[in-house]
Amino acid sequence: MRESAGLEQIVVIDDDYAMRLSCLQALSKLGLHVETCEDGAKGLNSVARLKPDLVLVDLKMPGISGMEVISRIHEIDPIIVIIVITGYATIGTAVDAMKAGAYDFLPKPFKPDELRMIVGRSLQHRRLLLESRRLEMERELLKRRFITFVSHQLKTPLTAIHQYLDVLRNLGDTVEVRAKSNEWLDRCLKRTKEMREIVDDWLTLSRMEGGMLSRQRVKVDLKPIVLNVLKTYREMEEANDVTLVPQLPGDSCLVRGDHNCLSVLFDNLIANAIKYNKPGGQVTVSAEMGDGEVVIAVHDTGVGIPREHKDYLFDEFFRVRGQGHTATTGTGLGLPICKRIVRESGGTIEVESEVGVGSTFRVRLPAYNAQDTNENQKGDPGDFGAEDDIDH
Amino acid sequence: MIIDDDVDFVEATSVPLEKRGYHVVKAYDGREGLRLAKIAPPDLVIMDIMMGERTEGFFTVQEMRQTTELRSVPIFVVSSLYSRIEEFKVAPEREWLAHDEFFPKPVDTEKLLKSIDRRLSDDH
Repeated sequence: MRESAGLEQIVVIDDDYAMRLSCLQALSKLGLHVETCEDGAKGLNSVARLKPDLVLVDLKMPGISGMEVISRIHEIDPIIVIIVITGYATIGTAVDAMKAGAYDFLPKPFKPDELRMIVGRSLQHRRLLLESRRLEMERELLKRRFITFVSHQLKTPLTAIHQYLDVLRNLGDTVEVRAKSNEWLDRCLKRTKEMREIVDDWLTLSRMEGGMLSRQRVKVDLKPIVLNVLKTYREMEEANDVTLVPQLPGDSCLVRGDHNCLSVLFDNLIANAIKYNKPGGQVTVSAEMGDGEVVIAVHDTGVGIPREHKDYLFDEFFRVRGQGHTATTGTGLGLPICKRIVRESGGTIEVESEVGVGSTFRVRLPAYNAQDTNENQKGDPGDFGAEDDIDH
Repeated sequence: MIIDDDVDFVEATSVPLEKRGYHVVKAYDGREGLRLAKIAPPDLVIMDIMMGERTEGFFTVQEMRQTTELRSVPIFVVSSLYSRIEEFKVAPEREWLAHDEFFPKPVDTEKLLKSIDRRLSDDH
């Protein structure tokens, strides 16, 4: 497939010599590459060879009919844009032709400007088609990559569990292995938990993909959400020897968003802050009202993120590797989920970090303002799942 | 020597090896493995091909093959991504020697031990 940025190609199929000539002259002025053919058979040959962006077809021609040509062109490539040229008497046929897949029609006689206008518009349509096809292919690729990675992500703990069980089964009665068996079974349990988390995260992501997580943007108070999440991590707080410190304002922190999504967001950020912390460390969650926005910062005193890793942090399956070999398990999907939620909520997320000192994830969400009309606050829901790096 | 970023794989593999009487040096990433191997070249390396960085294993194999004292150390490659040797695009011949082997993960410990025994008794 040629990129639309190259010279766009047009094939004109018309049995009338004067018509072919005037099309050639008018369109060459637009900087287009034009090839003309005097009948359907020759036209189809050119189309098959050139794979043009656009074809102008006269409906009334000797030999293969214009209608036939239209359907054969679309057999060659369904996204070639076809414009039908027709006399006034056959406008009814032109409508049929459009039903058959032509994009537009141009009644004869026409002025060069009319031709150029309709061709310009049709090429614009073609560019959009190409763009959406490209996005589609890209998404397909990302989806395949996603499946590969999830499989690998699941296979890793599965392999570890299998490895332990294999050794326990075959060497379980030896002193060396018996001494380890309880510890190993604990490790197996831990790895199954890891797998469950991967599956859960995967489901969350795919629900978001399907738009199943509510995308409503309603008035939500962040304070109880954050406090609730902190409460669920009390146990982990003790186990990891990390202190959780909420620094929330006395007033409520009203934003526009979805309650469940925002819970997932802070759940992920706070869990990370605990997980990547150091013993005796601290996790501070603060919130403040900015200019039309609420800024929530989740700050940890943990291992930090090397500068070279920052760019990949929000990519699926990327995980900062722990210092030494204390493997911190994770699904690698937490931050991509966060990025999505924040984007969905019309906000931004950024990270500041220093290796060995700690990291701060700063989320900015549009503040709730009773005066705002819905329209002003709504993001473009159309962009969900249709763009850049983390879609698949 | 075992080089794998999965602590559990290293643990579950090293215990049977130690029981067999081998001294196992453990490394949890390619760089560390390379560093340790240069200090004291091991008799055999078990290496995961897909570690933190996706190309880390390949890169480490390559590095070892370019290091004089490690050039002929047998490398047993393990991977959970590939299950057959054909899927695993083997690097050019100079990097893949006759005494190298491939094991899909999870590794059959029994088979691995036998291969290691055979390889190391051949050499000595």
